[in-house]
Amino acid sequence: MIAALGLLLGIVLGVILQPDVPAGLEPYLPIAVVAALDAVFGGLRAYLDGIFDDKVFVVSFVSNVVIAAAIVYLGDQLGVGGQLSTGVIVVLGIRIFSNVAAIRRHLFHA
Amino acid sequence: MPEQTTGHTTGHITTRARSRLRLPDTPRPDLPDQVVMPLLDRIVRESLDEDYQVVAARKAQIRRRPGGRPRGRQAGRPLARNRPPRPPSRLGRPRQVAAAVMAVFGVLVSIAAVQTSRNAPEANASRASLVEQVESRSAEVARLQERLERMRTSTTDLRAALAQATEDEQALGARIQRLEARTGLAAVTGPGLRITVDDAPDGDVTQQVRDSDLAALVDGLWNAGAEAISVNGKRLTNLTAFDNVGPAIHIGITPLVPPYTILAVGDPDTLAADLLESTFGQHWYSLVDSLGFVFDSKPADSLSLPAARPRRLRAVRLLDADPDVNRPGQEGPVSAP
Repeated sequence: MIAALGLLLGIVLGVILQPDVPAGLEPYLPIAVVAALDAVFGGLRAYLDGIFDDKVFVVSFVSNVVIAAAIVYLGDQLGVGGQLSTGVIVVLGIRIFSNVAAIRRHLFHA
Repeated sequence: MPEQTTGHTTGHITTRARSRLRLPDTPRPDLPDQVVMPLLDRIVRESLDEDYQVVAARKAQIRRRPGGRPRGRQAGRPLARNRPPRPPSRLGRPRQVAAAVMAVFGVLVSIAAVQTSRNAPEANASRASLVEQVESRSAEVARLQERLERMRTSTTDLRAALAQATEDEQALGARIQRLEARTGLAAVTGPGLRITVDDAPDGDVTQQVRDSDLAALVDGLWNAGAEAISVNGKRLTNLTAFDNVGPAIHIGITPLVPPYTILAVGDPDTLAADLLESTFGQHWYSLVDSLGFVFDSKPADSLSLPAARPRRLRAVRLLDADPDVNRPGQEGPVSAP
């Protein structure tokens, strides 16, 4: 519950402050959000599995965001940024879906 | 058993063959997962970070041996191999850390959303302006194409007009050439008659050739169908006049010296006969007979007549302005004074 409050607080903060993203980082923000979403769903599933660990959550969150952005940055430098970000989103999307499926099994026992 | 009717033995063989073919179902224990498992299967199976399971397993192990030091190496768990196990965390801390991370996540999400929605009007505006540009440009293209079509049509018209004008020019040029030949403004070469006339030998003054005599001969030749006439190398035009100044005959201001050589371009077969039939010709022949002039007429195959000196134009009228005024006598025979 405190995590949900934290999420709410973060959203409210972001909406109120509306910090400007540097133009150079702007293309990597969406992919970082998707990577963070994967980490969040992974953490939620681990919580429901009863094996949640804060350190693992923090590490997976940060590394997901950084690696996803780095991959897209590398792709941009190589001229295949669009294809690489598509690949990253496909992989992360599959992970998110299967995690959500596991969460659903926990919540609804179905 | 997949095939029940064929019996137990064959079904068993088929199953064995199939299991031998299906490699991932029977992985060799010494190969890691990423070698023996298809990529998508692996992604789906390991969608949860392995670390959670590893850490949970380590915690469980510590809990099972309370107070004891954990083993330094844990076989079969590559991710946690060299990491000393953490003491079990208290209940409050994970929640706070998780809440902080979730707050960061919320900030990320809201920033991304705000950024996207902030950029949306610009993207829409640029698209709208592009659409507008496309529409205006295509309208312009259509206009230009219409103009091109019009110009093409007018080009065709102009080309036809040009062809017509060229044709007219050629026709007019031919007419001008014909008129120049007839009026003496162009040199002429062609068959005709070579006529020699002289005063009567041993005659008195009355038996000399006079201007009116030559005029009668020339008029007779014009009537007989001569196209160009020259007297002693002087080309006759429709404005040429013979004058007597004393005993000598002048063409314009140039005196002529007998004998007079008259070149007449025309049909050599009919010119002499037609001359005899014309009024002026009969008058000329009677003069020759009565006064005893020397007169000799021979057909010639090729006569070269020079052009007359062009006279300065004194008055010009448009041809179509009043045809009745301009027409008479312009292309007709030379009239003697």
